Amino acid sequence: MTSLEAATAAGNGVRFVGDPRVYWRLLVRGGLLLAATLGIYRFWLTTDVRRFLWANTEVAGESLEYTGKPLELLLGFLVAIAILIPVYTGFFMAALDLGPLGKISGVIAFGALGVLGQYAVYRARRYRLTRTIYRGVRFHQSGSAWRYAFCAVFWWSLTALSCGLAYPLQLASLERYKMRNTYYGDLAGSFAGSGFGLLLRGFPMWFLVVAPLAVAAGAMIDIVDWQALARALEQGGRDVMGRIERGNPELAGAIVFAMLMVSLSAVAAALLYPAFQALVLRWWSSGLRFGEIEMCSNLSTRQIYGAYVRFLWYAILFGIGLAVIGVPVLLAVGAVAGDDHGGTGPEIAATGLMLAGYVIAALGFSTIYRATVMLSLWRLGMESLQMSGLSALDRVKASGGPSSPLGEGLADALNVGGY
Amino acid sequence: MPASANRSQPMTSGAGIFFDGRSSARHDCLVALAAAGLQIVAHDGTLLAEWPYNEIEGLTAPDNVLRLGRRGNALLERLEIRDPAFAAAVDARADRVDRTGLMQRRHRAGVIGWAIIATLSLVAVGYFGVPAIAERLAPLVPMAIERKLGDAVDSQVRGMLDARRLGAGFECGAADSERPGRIALDRMVHRLEAAAALPVRLRTLVVRRDEANAIALPGGQIFVFRGLIAKAENADQVAGVIAHEIGHVAHRDGTKSVLQAGGLSLLFGMLLGDFVGGGAVVLAAHAVLQSSYSRDVESAADRYGAELMNKAGGNARALAVILGKIGGATEPGMKILLDHPETDARVAAINRLASPQPWSPFLDAAGWAALKKICAG
Repeated sequence: MTSLEAATAAGNGVRFVGDPRVYWRLLVRGGLLLAATLGIYRFWLTTDVRRFLWANTEVAGESLEYTGKPLELLLGFLVAIAILIPVYTGFFMAALDLGPLGKISGVIAFGALGVLGQYAVYRARRYRLTRTIYRGVRFHQSGSAWRYAFCAVFWWSLTALSCGLAYPLQLASLERYKMRNTYYGDLAGSFAGSGFGLLLRGFPMWFLVVAPLAVAAGAMIDIVDWQALARALEQGGRDVMGRIERGNPELAGAIVFAMLMVSLSAVAAALLYPAFQALVLRWWSSGLRFGEIEMCSNLSTRQIYGAYVRFLWYAILFGIGLAVIGVPVLLAVGAVAGDDHGGTGPEIAATGLMLAGYVIAALGFSTIYRATVMLSLWRLGMESLQMSGLSALDRVKASGGPSSPLGEGLADALNVGGY
Repeated sequence: MPASANRSQPMTSGAGIFFDGRSSARHDCLVALAAAGLQIVAHDGTLLAEWPYNEIEGLTAPDNVLRLGRRGNALLERLEIRDPAFAAAVDARADRVDRTGLMQRRHRAGVIGWAIIATLSLVAVGYFGVPAIAERLAPLVPMAIERKLGDAVDSQVRGMLDARRLGAGFECGAADSERPGRIALDRMVHRLEAAAALPVRLRTLVVRRDEANAIALPGGQIFVFRGLIAKAENADQVAGVIAHEIGHVAHRDGTKSVLQAGGLSLLFGMLLGDFVGGGAVVLAAHAVLQSSYSRDVESAADRYGAELMNKAGGNARALAVILGKIGGATEPGMKILLDHPETDARVAAINRLASPQPWSPFLDAAGWAALKKICAG
């Protein structure tokens, strides 16, 4: 109990003690094995990553424990395959049907897989929580995954329709549902973050990204003579472009202006993204509650930018290294393949090399991203937490059991996985 | 195992932190290494738990903590030991405790080995198994379904090929000035169709694409690109290419390739490859495998085409000639991703099959002139 008091007195209940070099080694080795096994190794890598992150996160002097097993993830994936293959087959057959059903089958498939993906997200969260042990007591999650899935799809549609403006409200609503159904033993969680508050704080960023797009769209609508354009397109033939230009003398200028505005928006989005991520993470972790335990985050935006700068730095180094090794190899193979017109051997080799290069590049950048940005987000997010009411930790009763890994499998098969 | 434990008196007791799995309360405790097992004793002397050594397992924890649990225990009892020397003493007694990670590494080596073997075997199934299965399944697909498939593919193919959005005008032979060309084409196709005696009716169209090519869809639809007619020197060369495409229809290659694509995307898209960059690997593997299937498929269609030309009393060598003309134009370095295998070998194979019997041309001079104008309108 003394160490708990010491930790609380220090003002900060959470510490991350993981060695980044160990994490790098784990990810690099995992990346190589992913390539060698065309992805089969992902169940083991995911488990290793979670074990490392959980075990090295100390809350009030005690570290979290991840008890999930790779074989559970594999099993969840197999179950998901068993469910999805008939679903995919059904959509394939429907797509062959030329009637009205066939025409809209793509839309139905998109919607159904969207709902299923969100269902998987909720179930996967349940799996991760029930595999998280702290002080001999398990986290768990109640609630209906289907209800969550339909709410999530509803909110995503709303967010899309409002050009992203509804996103803070979506986050708050979905997070409230998740946290309301989250338990540490018998200690019920809740979420106190206000979506409206996040909206107010995020609005300037949203405006900086969306305003140039709106200006561009407005300019296009204003300047272009749409009737002339429609007439020009309708007539078709070889001189379409010429007629479009004659009908709209200012079109070229408008297009250049629109492209400038779109690039401005893209640059703003890229530059603001870390700040946005920091804002959301700070808001989210400040809203977490477990019984009388309250959390508050003082995450600094500057540190998140630091993580991205580190990512860029390593990514540039990696890119240079790849070019230094890759270009001579490609040139050599190209020379050999160019000389030998007869056989297909060199071509297979060249194709194989290109593929290998692509995989190494993609896995390399993703490994760097995970080891810099993702690890920093985890570490900074955890370490910036200030917890109050930690004395409640001495009275939590255990409850809940492990849940099935189906959600993880579905999320994996549908590509909606998280950590 | 640890040298320090053997050097001096081995430790038999030490401090620990115990969580009883019923509540999150933390119990500072004394841990004693008895003969049969590990005893966890509270400071007031009460025995909190006793675990036999062979049931103790090590759990994930930070490097400086040895976290222990009891195997198969529904209760999540946890014991944490922070003194490295005492942790070593526990490790020495409990076989399953894997403080150095050696057992884990050995186990993982097995996983990696089998995962790589499984990958190799899946690739082998993709390379040998999927085409073999498609080969056997395709003849079992009822004609009605194949025609439906053909209709679905037809609208997609038109969408891709009809780059200038001509719609109905994409097909040649509808305008009055094109009618004689259409009639000439039909005459040619009927002669081939009579010789081929297929279970489906062919629908042959000339379309406004400038490449020298032709394609066959499932269900008996054949698109001849007008670029092919422009490049051909006579009607027999066009007939040879159509005979080759009839080979695809007779072999049900369209259905086979749909089955193959389905099988491959199942194999590589779902079972494997959900990692960054995996999608591209899967696509590339797909393309390479498909093109290696297509070599055999094209050679088989060549054989069929040559034999059909013989049977219809035409000149099979004309197919070889036009193939040499259009096949020679491929760019070096890209052959592996193209559908057509080594042109020289194909030309030689067709010429070997060509019948030495006298042959008659498919169209007379007037018919050939009409066919050349099938897209004039």
